[in-house]
Amino acid sequence: MTGDYKFNTLSLHAGFTPDERHGSAAVPIHQTTSYVFKDTEHAAALYNLEVGGHLYSRISNPTVAVLEQRVAALDCGIGAVATSSGMAALFVTVLALCSAGDHIVSSSQMYGANINLFQHTLSRYGIETTFVAPNDPNAFAAAIQPNTKMVFGEVIGNPGLDIMDITVIGKIANDAGVPLVIDATFNTPYLLKPIQNGANIVIHSLTKWMGGHGIALGGIVVDGGNFDWGQNNRFPTLTESHFGFQGVNLYEEFGPAAFITRVRTEGMYNVGPCLSPTNAFHLIQGIETLGLRMERHMSNTKKMLDFLLHHEGISWVKHPTLPDHPDYEVAKRLMPKGAGSVIACGVKGGREAGQAFIENVKVASHLANVGDAKTLVIHPGSTTQSHLSPAAMKSAGLTDDMLRISVGLEDFEDLQADFEQALRSAAKI
Amino acid sequence: MKINLNGEIVFASTGGRNFELKGEPIWFIHGSGQSHLSFMLQGRFFANRGWSVIAADMPSHGLSSGVPLDTIEAMSDWHIALMDSLGVEKVQIVGHSQGGLIGLDLAHRYTDRVSRLSLVATALSIPVNDNLIDMAKNKEPAAIKAMIDWGHGSEGHSHDHTMPGQNHLNYGVQMMAANKSGALHADLKACVNYDNGQSAAAMITCPTQLIIGQQDKMTPLKFGLKAAEALKTVNVTIVENAGHMLPSEHPEEVNRALRPFFTKS
Repeated sequence: MTGDYKFNTLSLHAGFTPDERHGSAAVPIHQTTSYVFKDTEHAAALYNLEVGGHLYSRISNPTVAVLEQRVAALDCGIGAVATSSGMAALFVTVLALCSAGDHIVSSSQMYGANINLFQHTLSRYGIETTFVAPNDPNAFAAAIQPNTKMVFGEVIGNPGLDIMDITVIGKIANDAGVPLVIDATFNTPYLLKPIQNGANIVIHSLTKWMGGHGIALGGIVVDGGNFDWGQNNRFPTLTESHFGFQGVNLYEEFGPAAFITRVRTEGMYNVGPCLSPTNAFHLIQGIETLGLRMERHMSNTKKMLDFLLHHEGISWVKHPTLPDHPDYEVAKRLMPKGAGSVIACGVKGGREAGQAFIENVKVASHLANVGDAKTLVIHPGSTTQSHLSPAAMKSAGLTDDMLRISVGLEDFEDLQADFEQALRSAAKI
Repeated sequence: MKINLNGEIVFASTGGRNFELKGEPIWFIHGSGQSHLSFMLQGRFFANRGWSVIAADMPSHGLSSGVPLDTIEAMSDWHIALMDSLGVEKVQIVGHSQGGLIGLDLAHRYTDRVSRLSLVATALSIPVNDNLIDMAKNKEPAAIKAMIDWGHGSEGHSHDHTMPGQNHLNYGVQMMAANKSGALHADLKACVNYDNGQSAAAMITCPTQLIIGQQDKMTPLKFGLKAAEALKTVNVTIVENAGHMLPSEHPEEVNRALRPFFTKS
């Protein structure tokens, strides 16, 4: 980051200049599919990427661009492309880097849809993935092959809360000539800016903490611009003739922006998982208070941990800020302000007790999301992972008594009272 | 395109179009610690409108190999050698910042090789703070950050960009960081040591123009206007809300000013 505005100022202002004609203080919602060209030369110039502007909202949109520029500023990126969801952001990233016959090294402990994309979808198109433990840097090093195009993982694994040492693994990846792509959904740039700590590309599900309100889906890819795509012959999608723009070489023509240009000109242009302008507007409103909310998420998480650790109805508690967490030291180094607001814990009484707890909470919401301003709880054993055998649960780092709590912003006394009564109900099972 | 010049690789952007020598090419010369990428939107704009365009990375910059040159005169001679290797007899120059000093020197010493000279965010001399030169030598990343910070005006610092989703400051840092270590220090020393701008300007006979950023902290407006006076040019464009990194920060205004200035075969 340069001598730039600080986090909360950027959260409120970055990427937006009020227009001269109307002076709207809030970011306007440009709910339009297309844009009137000034003349044929202007239209051609937009298609040739020789002037800035918008030509069709699948590719870019003024409201979405404010969101992209704001997140790029917060994450110290050279540019960003917003997408319809976090999964779409991951997909367009893979699309920009990988082709049939290529290979990915990925953390094995992460969001199920990420695993499914790599294991079951990409493999059908000839892209193979080797999964390794997120906290075993040597395993990442050993898994990189000559055809590996990216190393991938989540800083804070979902739902197991393993911590990936992105500084160490980023160096391993970069030394091998491969970029580190990080899903930073659980940490947000408030807790950790991955690009300043070893990553080259960052992906967020904006649906979670960044938006914070649970009213709009969205994702984003942020390009650090800090990876030299021309250092080897590994990235022909960026260093050889591109099918668009008169066969231009993106690396030569756009330099550090080669990757993000490919994401927009291929991922958005040819596939089209674009973010709606209205959702972009909602997400911008959330980001305006990201710093304040994350402070509160962290303080409530600390109180919740203290409560759970001392409650007789809880058999175990897992969070990266607890000294018995295997990645405690890494979490402390990477995220001194806190390691996220998701807690895993076990309810005494196993699967049935967990189910009873979930069915009795009143303030907390029982649903399949995280990062909302409201506290969310789920019992994977009886819901999202109910189809798994005990062995499969164990391999995914899950147990049948496990609760996943996404700590929200409520007055903690109300949360404590709610959890107390739900745990009393669970104890009767 | 890549050119072999005296055993070193020179990368020259041709604006995304194959280079075909037509008339007098527009010859972009980048500033200190910059590369062809600082003219990305000018190069594409003119190449797509039928001009021959060259934006070369000087040695140790961007995608070019070699040892950085340490005087403005040596940089001018290098550009002449590159023109010779491409069979280019005469060019229309756009020089940004230090590239403007090189343009002044070229138009003065090689009058038959320069038909038009456009100076963007430059002056007759570019004094550089000793601390910055020291930082460029010993703490290059800090020097790059400082230059990118000072080099952008209010629009760059607002993180608003004409190209959707892009970020001026962080792109600028990564673009400069991609040069070989030592290139920035050599450039800044070359700027400091060049003191021939005033007399060169008095001798230049080709048509000239100046494009100046209203908020430029590195080559402030008053120094740009002094250069205009010395060159006796009335072709001056002042771009509001713009800092030193004019070509990337305000590409449309720069292109609008440049376009009528150049001739096309």
